[in-house]
Order: sequence, then C-alpha cells, then structure tokens
Amino acid sequence: MQHYLKGAFALAAIALTVGLANAQDLAPLNSDSEPDRMDWSELDAKFGALPAPAAGTKVAGVSKTLTNEYWRSLGDGYKNVADKLGVGFVYQAAANEGDQIGQLSIAEDLINQGFNAMLLSPQTDANLVPAVEKAKAAGIAVLNVNDAVIPSATNYVGNVQKDNGVRVAQWFIDNKADGGQVAVIEGQPGVYAAGQRTAGFTETINANGKFSVVASVPANWSREEAFNAASTILQQYPDLIGFYANNDGMALGVVEAVKAAGRADKVAVFGTDGVSDAYAAIRAGDLTGTVDSFPVLTGEIAMEVALRLAAGQKLPRVVATPQALITKDNVETYATTDMAALRATLTAK
Amino acid sequence: MSPVLTPFPLLQRIKFRDAGTLLGLLLIGGVFAVLSPTFLTAPNLLNVLQQSSINACIALGMTLVIISGGIDLSVGPVAALTAVLGASMMVAGVPFGLAVAGALCIGMLCGFINGALIAWGGLQPFIVTLGGLSLYRALALIFTGGQPIFGLPDGFRALTNGTLAGVPNPVVIVAVLAICAWVILNKTPLGEYFMAVGGNPEAARIAGVPVTLTKLAAYMISGLMAAVAAMILIGRLGAAEPTMGTLWELDAIAASAIGGASLMGGRGSIIGTLIGCVILGTLRNGLTLLNVQAFYQLLATGIIIIVAMLIDKATSGK
Repeated sequence: MQHYLKGAFALAAIALTVGLANAQDLAPLNSDSEPDRMDWSELDAKFGALPAPAAGTKVAGVSKTLTNEYWRSLGDGYKNVADKLGVGFVYQAAANEGDQIGQLSIAEDLINQGFNAMLLSPQTDANLVPAVEKAKAAGIAVLNVNDAVIPSATNYVGNVQKDNGVRVAQWFIDNKADGGQVAVIEGQPGVYAAGQRTAGFTETINANGKFSVVASVPANWSREEAFNAASTILQQYPDLIGFYANNDGMALGVVEAVKAAGRADKVAVFGTDGVSDAYAAIRAGDLTGTVDSFPVLTGEIAMEVALRLAAGQKLPRVVATPQALITKDNVETYATTDMAALRATLTAK
Repeated sequence: MSPVLTPFPLLQRIKFRDAGTLLGLLLIGGVFAVLSPTFLTAPNLLNVLQQSSINACIALGMTLVIISGGIDLSVGPVAALTAVLGASMMVAGVPFGLAVAGALCIGMLCGFINGALIAWGGLQPFIVTLGGLSLYRALALIFTGGQPIFGLPDGFRALTNGTLAGVPNPVVIVAVLAICAWVILNKTPLGEYFMAVGGNPEAARIAGVPVTLTKLAAYMISGLMAAVAAMILIGRLGAAEPTMGTLWELDAIAASAIGGASLMGGRGSIIGTLIGCVILGTLRNGLTLLNVQAFYQLLATGIIIIVAMLIDKATSGK
C-alpha cells in the first residue's frame, strides 16, 4: 500500500510544477443579489434588436435531466429561437438529477466540437466548474441558466429565486387576514434555489407577524418524500392553513396528503415552477397556486442572451427572467403556449 | 464451484477474457470513429480517459473486493465523507499534502470498519456495506449541514488539473494505482489469498490462508481507492459536496463485471476492469458526440453489461 502513496505523491509533486492555475478575478456569483443585473424586458431597449447570428453559429445546451418537465420546456425554448434564426443546436442532459459526473462528462465532450456558446444548467454549484474553465479557455461564451449558480460564471440568466417564496408569502398575507400556521416543504438541502425560495417565504411571512412557520423540512424534490412529510405535519398541526413547496412535484405530493387527510378546504398548497401538472391541478382546484417561472420563455431569453454574447455584446452579469403567481383566477391568462402573447402579458404589467 | 488454488489455468483464462473485453472496446470505438469525426481526436480520447479515471479508481478497489468474494456498496458515500473532511482540513489551513494523507486514512478507516464487521462480525458484505452506504453519507451531510465546501487551495487543484507529458494527471495517478493493483493481485501472496478466499473460503482456511486479514485488506484498499477518487474529483471541481458519489458503486460493479469479475468471487481481472471502465466512458462520450439522449445512453450501458455476461457464460462453458 505504501507504493500507492509514494507513487501518487511523487506524481503529484511533478504535476505541481506542470500544473495550471486559473486565476479568477470575478467575485463568486450570487444570482439573486448581484448588483450588475438587468431585467429581461429591457434587453431590446438597451442593447438593440438581437443581431443576426453569423452563418454556422452553433450553440449547445446542457441541463440537469430530462425526467423533469421544467428542463424539457427550457430546451423547447432554446430550440424555438435556434430554429427561428437557423442556429445549430444540440441539447443534452444527464440520466438523472444526481449524476453529477455524468453531466460534467457531457459538457466536456461538447467543448471539443466547436460550439460558439454553451448554456449550462448545472446539477450543483460545483459540478460543472471544470467544464466552464475549459470552455472559457477555448473562447466559448458560457451562460449559466437557472438554477444552481456556478460561482465563477461570467453570465447568468434566470429568475430571482427568493422572489418565488416572497410571492407566495404575499398571497397568504393578502388572503388570510387572520394569519395562522404554515409549513414549508424544502428542496434538496444545500441547493441555492431551495434555500433562497424558503428564505424568501419565511422572511416575508414572519415579518407580517400573524403567521408562524411551524415546520420547514426537506423532501429533496421528491413527490413521495413530500407526501410523507406533509402527512406527518398535518397530523401534528390540526390548525395548519397552508403549505409552500419549493417545486411543483413536491407540491402535488402535498396535495395528495392534504386530500387524504380530508382537509382540502382548509389547507392552501403552493408550488413553484409552473409545470403542466400544476396547471391541471390548479384548474381542478386541488393546488391553490404555483409561481410560474415560464421555462419555455426563459429558454428563449437565455438563447437570445447567448447569441448576443456570441456576437460580442457586453451584457450585465445577471439577466433576470420573468415569473408570476398563478392561481385559479389568472390560470387561463398564463396557460398560453404562444410566447409572443406571454411576453406581451408580462411586459404590460 | 471448482477449486481455484492453482493459478495457471486461471491466469490463461483471464487473459483470454481480457482479449475479449478489449475486442468489445475496439468494436464500440470503431463504430463511434466512423459515425463522429470528433471521436478519434487526441483531445477527445484523453477526455474519455480522464472521465473514466474516477470510475476506474473506484473499480480497482471494487474488483479486489469482488474477487475476495465480497461487495462494497459504500464507496460513493466513503468518497463523499473523505472529500468533505479533506476539503475542510485544507480550507482550515492544513497543508494539502497532510490533508490528502488524512483523507486517505479516513477512507481506509471506513474500509476497516466495513471489513471488521464482515470478517470478525461474520455479517454479510452486501448488508454491511448497504448500511455503510447510508451511514457514511449521513456523516458527510451532518458534518457539512448539506453545504458544499468551496475555496480549495490552488496548489492542490493544480495537481488534478495539470498534465504530465500531455496526459491529464488523474489518468496518470490511476494508471500507477492500476499497476500497483495488478502487481498485488498477480505477483504477491495477498493476490493469491484474494483469489483463494473468494473461490472457496473453507478450502482457503484449511490451506492456511489468513482469511480474516485478507478480507480486511480488500475493504481497506477499496476505502483507500474511494478516498483517492474523492481527492481527484474535488481537485477538479474546486469544491467538495456531501452529495457527490451517488451511484458510483453501481458504475464500479458494472466495470468489474464487464471486465470479467464474478460476483461469486474467485475471479476477476485488473486489466479487464480498466477496459470495462473505458468501455463505459467511451459509450457515454460517443453517444454524447452523436447527440443521443441520456435515456438511450442508459439503455446502451445495460445492453453492454448483459451482452458481456452472456459472452462470459458462453465462453466459460459453465
């Protein structure tokens, strides 16, 4: 066994002399609070219409996994713009949301293929860092798209995660004047989006003073775990008036638990993301609401930003994408698949 | 099962098997070379090796455990635990050489605990390491509170991001470890003990093989290799995450099996395992280059494993 160690250290010592050091001057990115930012709706006004991409422009998208509708929809958005402008486009994702090395391998494999820009949605804050460094060195424009944040990313497109939770908390404050007990079903611990969404909800609702967050437990983005956690919480707190789940899959698990407990009329349930199941559940009156971050539109905006970067435009580090609270009252307005109409609705406000 | 204490027929059989695995790799590589112009370029091939290196590191240890008749399902969480402990030592200012040594010791300690429960406690390897799978992951999560540890020293990162004569350092490190593992398995008494204990533990005991120590050694090597893989990965990522290493055990078992290791014990090959890792890496790389969806990559991996087993069965005549 000594051989192993000696060998490894000898090599390590040699490598140290040959090794490369990539100095990073940028401050680690915090996409919610980064001061160098703009809203998506100002892109055309500030930087002019999208320049026509050079002939032969190719863009690659690498997202978390295609088993989640959010990432499929984001890819549809990328493709809409790429097809419209005749830009070459490939879209890849890892087999599941936990396959961090698999996702890194995919990103690295694409770098050698001569893309002008890459749209990366990493599984964790760290797992795509080597690919980002390599792509930058190869002169490829790299864009971090929702929702894990690569600290060294030079450009980020995505929604303000904290605002998701704030909007749901605001609904409770506006609609439940008497206050009461609420619970949060969190995403995976340590994931930026989960932490920010929970913080936004908890801080806003606590500031009101009439509400108390009686439970805040992680269910790791899993419908089943959310169902189990919600069942326990419902048993424990008979006066509970609402749940906020960090994504729609978990919210739908909570909905089932609330129905099973026979308290659908008393407990409001909110999710985040705006997947089609959530829309269906809102129409059916099962889910009270969700914060839609419009994945298809986000994909379109991200692709446009990538093409602007590839064309040499200098954009702010963060471009914030739209989101809105969807309830039964406005569900049909936002359920459109016509992105031009959706853009008009969102910018009209 | 036939007694396997005589090494010579076994050695020849394994070499024959390795040639078959290599042929499989060449076939797969040939198909990709025809379909994608990027596949057969030097940067891409180095990419494949670099991406296979972490799985290869884990699989080397796994192969020795499998040959000795066991299984180690806890490698991913052991890697995660050593990663977060090693990284937090570095961030706290411990010189990175010392922190790496500490992390490797922690990996061996985890392996020792697995091995002790199996060898002395007489518990089943599958269940013990299944427990370890949860236990070590829990320790990593509790220690970090779920947060990744950032800010690893540049000197350490340079080790894993550098190259030696154009070859990425992770590949060089794993190559050296593979040579060590090959020597241990084929040229030392310990290697014969692994084969003997896995092939027929009772016969081995009667023949005077130190069965308990042999099992301990196998799990400690596996823990050590998990720790080495963890160090390579955190060096590349620049951060240690308590969630890393999910499903590593299955990739490593797949590589060992493609390479000819028998989960019944007593049979396996270091060279075969390495080729198995490269086959898995090549599949992923080639299918990505061809823009094939991840779901089909899984499908291809499954088919390759089963085909390898069928060929195994057909050629071994058992």
